[in-house]
Amino acid sequence: MSDYTTGIKELDDAVGGIRKGSNIMLIGPPMSGKEAILNHIMYYGAAVNENAVITVTTRESATHILEWFKEHNLDLPLPRIGIIDCVTKTLGGVAAENESIKIASSPVDLTGIGVKISQFFEEFFMKKNTQKIQLHINSLSTILMYSNIQTVFRFLHVFTGRIKAAGALGIYVIESGMHDEQAVATLKQLFDGMIEIKSQEDKNFIRMVGISQKPTPWFEYEIEGHNIKILRGN
Amino acid sequence: MVETGIPKLDEFLGGGIPRGKSLVYYSQPGVEGEIFGLQTVYGTLKNGGTCVFVASSTIPDIIKGQFKEFGWDVDSFKDKLFFVDSYNPLIGAPSNEKYIVSNPDKIEYFHKTIMDIIKELPPSTIVFGSLSTIMDLCGEKETIEAVRTWNKMAMLYNHVIIYNFTAWPYSNETLNLIKGDIFNSVISIGGIAERFIFGQYFGILKSDWADIPRKSMLFRVLRPGGIKIFIPKILVTGPFDAGKSTFVHALSTRAISVDRLGTTIAMDHGHVDYKGFSADIFGTPGQERFDPIIKLLSGESMGVFLIVDSTNPSDFVRAKHMLDITKSYGLPYVIVANKQDLPGALTPEEIRRQFHLPADVPIVPAIAKDKIGVFEAFEALIDKITGGI
Repeated sequence: MSDYTTGIKELDDAVGGIRKGSNIMLIGPPMSGKEAILNHIMYYGAAVNENAVITVTTRESATHILEWFKEHNLDLPLPRIGIIDCVTKTLGGVAAENESIKIASSPVDLTGIGVKISQFFEEFFMKKNTQKIQLHINSLSTILMYSNIQTVFRFLHVFTGRIKAAGALGIYVIESGMHDEQAVATLKQLFDGMIEIKSQEDKNFIRMVGISQKPTPWFEYEIEGHNIKILRGN
Repeated sequence: MVETGIPKLDEFLGGGIPRGKSLVYYSQPGVEGEIFGLQTVYGTLKNGGTCVFVASSTIPDIIKGQFKEFGWDVDSFKDKLFFVDSYNPLIGAPSNEKYIVSNPDKIEYFHKTIMDIIKELPPSTIVFGSLSTIMDLCGEKETIEAVRTWNKMAMLYNHVIIYNFTAWPYSNETLNLIKGDIFNSVISIGGIAERFIFGQYFGILKSDWADIPRKSMLFRVLRPGGIKIFIPKILVTGPFDAGKSTFVHALSTRAISVDRLGTTIAMDHGHVDYKGFSADIFGTPGQERFDPIIKLLSGESMGVFLIVDSTNPSDFVRAKHMLDITKSYGLPYVIVANKQDLPGALTPEEIRRQFHLPADVPIVPAIAKDKIGVFEAFEALIDKITGGI
């Protein structure tokens, strides 16, 4: 019996679901659709599996993320959504917190981001009695632009530990090719597995590593609206 | 003395922080420790002091916005509050502040700016928004050496110097130094965690100018309002018609009762906000058939008020029984001798005799309908819960 799923059927079937307490790196090149994949996992987690989903966003504003779902006619269950917006304030935008949005002061303010994550965890567990929680961080690459690898490692060390203790699922996005290999290798120690994406000759492929005994095959995929359509396994 | 402005903390520290001293707010990741630094800035300004805030993890304008969220108007202290901007230079943006750190990943640049401030400004409260961010950018050893110098210089120039520090998993050496001999005082801010953090507390780990009480205070952060000491639940119980609902309403800033034909059949619920303390108050119905509710609520409470009708000794047996139920949970309690305005009301001492209560149990005379005695009773119970500090 699996604890968490991605909602991409072929992948879920191949690994048999993801154990609770897992921390997973989502790594892929720019423009390969990581955003859409993460949004898909978020929607599937919240709307279909009825989990709570906490998303830390360092790239798009919270409003922008919610609009994406509206544009794709997806009805996101807001009481089970928590977005931590690290963008709006530093851009000088007007940022109002509400039940599903909290505002952090900047991507450098890891202390503040940590506080907001803890607050959402408390709200989901205590007030809303939701036991299964996903934490998505999009992306570690932005955080790494402002902080060094040791700092990010310490931050992740704390929060991957909390994910384990809470029996939650953590997904952390990293741009491949943006950081030196040693940095990525350092961070990998903290993760139980990864969702890996590669682009070859205008085609995109996805696989999961470390979740099941062997890596899954590479699945070629296309993004159709909000759907991740698997073309064939090879 | 510079007051921190945080309820109970100034009292614990013997009135506040003496000039020339250094203090660190040492927070576990995920708890709202940074508010302590902000509240201390506002506490200083309100008392006419001068303040410097070192903004290292976000721009000064956002810090100003945070003050506003707490309802603290810092605009009116413009010429008393200075910012050190080390964030805009980090992201390559221009800064309007007088004090900037042009190279925030080099400790020498921090050092120069901080030393200028220490020498230029009159005795001030210097607050570092996030020492951990500086340490992350400039290195652990380098930052600690600089902090030692700043603390020494602050002492010579009569400043108070305060740091917010998030205890990420740095090396043990670094964490032990910070908890150890670098600062005159260490305030530890932590979370009560099971699978997640559901309560926050602070306590004093170290202070070289005051005898420190071995107590931790639960707190919540209110916007507006800032840090409030927090007592999760207080139970109000007592026989039928003793005035429990009246008491809950008199004490609460907001309250509701679920009742029928003028008597409470489910419960009263209120919230108190008084002298830096926040508490949720639950009143139980008086009739015996509701005793299971008292048991249920006692398990989650931290203290009990027993309300008695001072004119009605025939109910004291029942009152005593209700008290026994809650006492079995080991809860601190205070007796409220209500209806003192009515003829024939017994004095607290007469009630103590009839109840065979030891002398250290507070019995507070009250007229709940006129709000007389209710806040005295509240303070007496808080003292019992916190051990009278």
